Amino acid sequence: MMDFLRRIFFVDILKGLALTFRYTYRKVYTEQYPLEKPKLAGRYRGAPRLNNDPVTGETLCIACDLCAEICPEDLIVVGSQRDPESRKKVLTHYTFDTSRCLFCGLCQEVCPTNAIELTQDFELAAYDRRSMVWDRKQLEKGWDRIHFGKDYHK
Amino acid sequence: MKTTVEESTVLDAKVLELNMGPQHPSTHGVLRVKLKLDGERVLDAECIIGYLHRGVEKISENRSYIKCVPYYDRTDYIAAVSNVYGYLLGVEAMMQIEVPKRAQYIRIMMTEFSRISSHLLWLATHAIDIGAMTVFLYCFREREEILKLFEALFGARLTTHAFRVGGLWKDLPAGFEEAARKFIDEFPERVDEYEQLLTKNRIWMARTQGIGVISGKEAIEWGLTGPVLRGSGMKHDVRKDRPYGGYEEFDFDVPVGENGDTYDRYLVRLEEMHQSRRIIQQVLDRLPDGPVRGKAPKIVKPPVGEYYSGIDGPRGELGYYIVSDGSAQPFRVRIRPPTFISLQVLRRLVRGHLMADVIAIIGTLDIVLGEVDR
Amino acid sequence: MIEILLIYAIIPLIKIAVIVLFLSGAIAYLTLLERKLIAHIQVRLGPMRVGWHGLLQPIADGLKFLLKEDIVPAKADALIFTIAPAISLLPAFLVFAVVPFGPPDMLKDFLSWILGWFPFLNLDPETIARIAENSIASGGYVTDINIAVLFVLSVSSVGILGIILGGWASNSKFPLLGALRSSAQMVSYEVALGFAIIGVLLVAGSLSLVEIVQNQQQEQIWYVFVQPVAFVLFFICGLAETNRLPFDLPEAETELVGGFHTEYSGFRFSLFFLAEYANMIAVSAIGVILFLGGWLRPFPNSDWLSFLDFIPGVLWFLGKVFMFLYIFIWLRGTLPRFRFDQLMQYGWKIFLPVALGNVVVTAAVLLAFL
Ligand code: SF4
Ligand code: SF4
Repeated sequence: MMDFLRRIFFVDILKGLALTFRYTYRKVYTEQYPLEKPKLAGRYRGAPRLNNDPVTGETLCIACDLCAEICPEDLIVVGSQRDPESRKKVLTHYTFDTSRCLFCGLCQEVCPTNAIELTQDFELAAYDRRSMVWDRKQLEKGWDRIHFGKDYHK
Repeated sequence: MKTTVEESTVLDAKVLELNMGPQHPSTHGVLRVKLKLDGERVLDAECIIGYLHRGVEKISENRSYIKCVPYYDRTDYIAAVSNVYGYLLGVEAMMQIEVPKRAQYIRIMMTEFSRISSHLLWLATHAIDIGAMTVFLYCFREREEILKLFEALFGARLTTHAFRVGGLWKDLPAGFEEAARKFIDEFPERVDEYEQLLTKNRIWMARTQGIGVISGKEAIEWGLTGPVLRGSGMKHDVRKDRPYGGYEEFDFDVPVGENGDTYDRYLVRLEEMHQSRRIIQQVLDRLPDGPVRGKAPKIVKPPVGEYYSGIDGPRGELGYYIVSDGSAQPFRVRIRPPTFISLQVLRRLVRGHLMADVIAIIGTLDIVLGEVDR
Repeated sequence: MIEILLIYAIIPLIKIAVIVLFLSGAIAYLTLLERKLIAHIQVRLGPMRVGWHGLLQPIADGLKFLLKEDIVPAKADALIFTIAPAISLLPAFLVFAVVPFGPPDMLKDFLSWILGWFPFLNLDPETIARIAENSIASGGYVTDINIAVLFVLSVSSVGILGIILGGWASNSKFPLLGALRSSAQMVSYEVALGFAIIGVLLVAGSLSLVEIVQNQQQEQIWYVFVQPVAFVLFFICGLAETNRLPFDLPEAETELVGGFHTEYSGFRFSLFFLAEYANMIAVSAIGVILFLGGWLRPFPNSDWLSFLDFIPGVLWFLGKVFMFLYIFIWLRGTLPRFRFDQLMQYGWKIFLPVALGNVVVTAAVLLAFL
């Protein structure tokens, strides 16, 4: 009987309506993305960067090739030359293909000098595929984002 | 669209062949179902899969054991954590690597979080398929909180690359435990909200009760696992039957349904979220101190042999069958994706139902095409 | 001469223009209201970018629709495909010809004031007064016909034709299924809707919408209190008639992609869209008139609420319509969707018998006590 009355008076539906009504005038949950940047966790794996020694400004990379070895997608290419005097390997070039990267972080885990690092930058869109392959200069500088008609990033 | 006209048994009507998918709002990715319709009634259905095939199993054969891991994130991308977990359990068992207690506990906690998030996504899409749009966004709100936890611990939200051989990448970050506690404290309230919108709602009940009924016996014959099997009243859960990774230390129930219909599977999954929450609560209360990464060799080279590791993923038994030839690369990895197997009953379930039910049934099977196609 | 012209042609034409313009604007902003409201129900913000809180969004949308390429599928029946949206839109607007927005003397003061401003008409005060007295000119409606309810029912059922033709002419399977669903749905719910209205008609004793409202004024009570069952039925069937959730099967996007308008794009799509929202407003308006006393305040003519009289009737009317629409949208944000056969079952096995019962009981009570 109670059940029947509940059905006639739409109790189930009214309950649902009450819930949605309560939410209508609450604070919203979403963030206004391009206007409001999300705060990413420190561990977030985004755009790669090749770090320089903050003091000398020289690259930290010792061209050991470990990152290229571990990368599942084989997308890192480390070019090196042996310095005839010091007998040390010197980095000549370094490319990183962001279009194929899995952002798994294996490269940064394996790097002995913390030279390659995945930063919290996540807006990696580019206009063509070629510009998704980053060279050493780009990697050291960090990614300059594509800017849209109205600059949301200021 | 090609129209094939055949004779139908009913009246003199023609059979309408309808291609649902691969681009269709509610085939959850790129499933294509070829429906034979008599009016709105489904006479037959044929699943055509493979649109998302990336050959993950083949890729694994020419990557080292460590390098394979990120690819398994991408098979079932909705519960990436469980996927990696299953594979690593297998590798660690082959290598006989001891995983520290703390790492074990954290793994269990994160896997349960991933179960909750996966079930949330399932509820969201299932509800929106049946028209309840608001539940969709409410579920995403809670899922977002879990993804934030993933981001803080793993460094990524979806394709997390969650665990490493022998443990974790890093220990819990500062503030993680509080955030996790806050989430699980609020969570039951949220589930109540979904229930308020759906469970007793007459439309929801009419749409799900008696739809896609499968008996427990038949479900076993089809090889179904997970909530789909449990919804039919079969108490099967790998976590209980063959405990792995430390699950035997935790207390939880395995909910089962009675009728094996869509509504029961819905209730089972809701209850599973509560049970996952219970496990997380226990982990947080009992979390031991210690290292999070055991002694693992730099190069993983398991001895020659075969190993099967099966875990209870959010969608059912997720198995990895690993064959090693003693080299640094697996000779073969075969994944047993739970939804690949539950997808085959779709045809059996939809026959005789209406077209709208096809969508409800696809939703209740909780398929993820990334996993079906691999 | 000029007097007759004014009363029967010019003023009604101006009224029609005003109503059409107002309606188009209302529809545009109804879409915004819907998006905003649903967004807030779902703890998000909805359109925010175009104008302050997205206030210009409907205009941007309209422009977008106009500028988009007009696609007619190769296999479609081009002629029917192109006219179907218009068939669907026209009846939706036509209904407003008989909808009273305000009392018969609504524009009286306004007319007598404004006509004085046109010296070239050479009107003497007496003629102005006569024009202002005439309810055809000064009524808050385009026309008041004595079979208005029938007119509304018949005109609004023409709109289905557009949907069926559109779905059929697309020559594609999803639209066809959508069209079939909607025809079946609308036909069956129209019956229950009609019977729900008959309950009111029995009480009111008139088919003219204006008179129905005036009767509610005399009896000092809205008919919703006299005919609650009919009101609930009317509301539910109204939802079904306008294809709103939980009865939005013809366009159930998760099942039928877009339903009958899957193949439509650009301007033609927007016509269907307009028709749908115009129907929503129309059903709300009719509901307000039949059950909620049209332009009347609560408990009309009773003294204890007379302080509410300062609010003009139009505002009461629009406010009530808004309330209806709000509930429509609110329901959409809450409920799942019925299945096709369930919908038909509800329509024929529950709503229709209840509506019939309501008619019988009402008639019996009227016979016995009046
Ligand atoms: S993140 Fe992974 S895929 Fe990307 S470069 Fe590093 S190792 Fe390779
Ligand atoms: S692992 Fe580090 S140091 Fe070695 S090559 Fe890569 S970036 Fe350079």
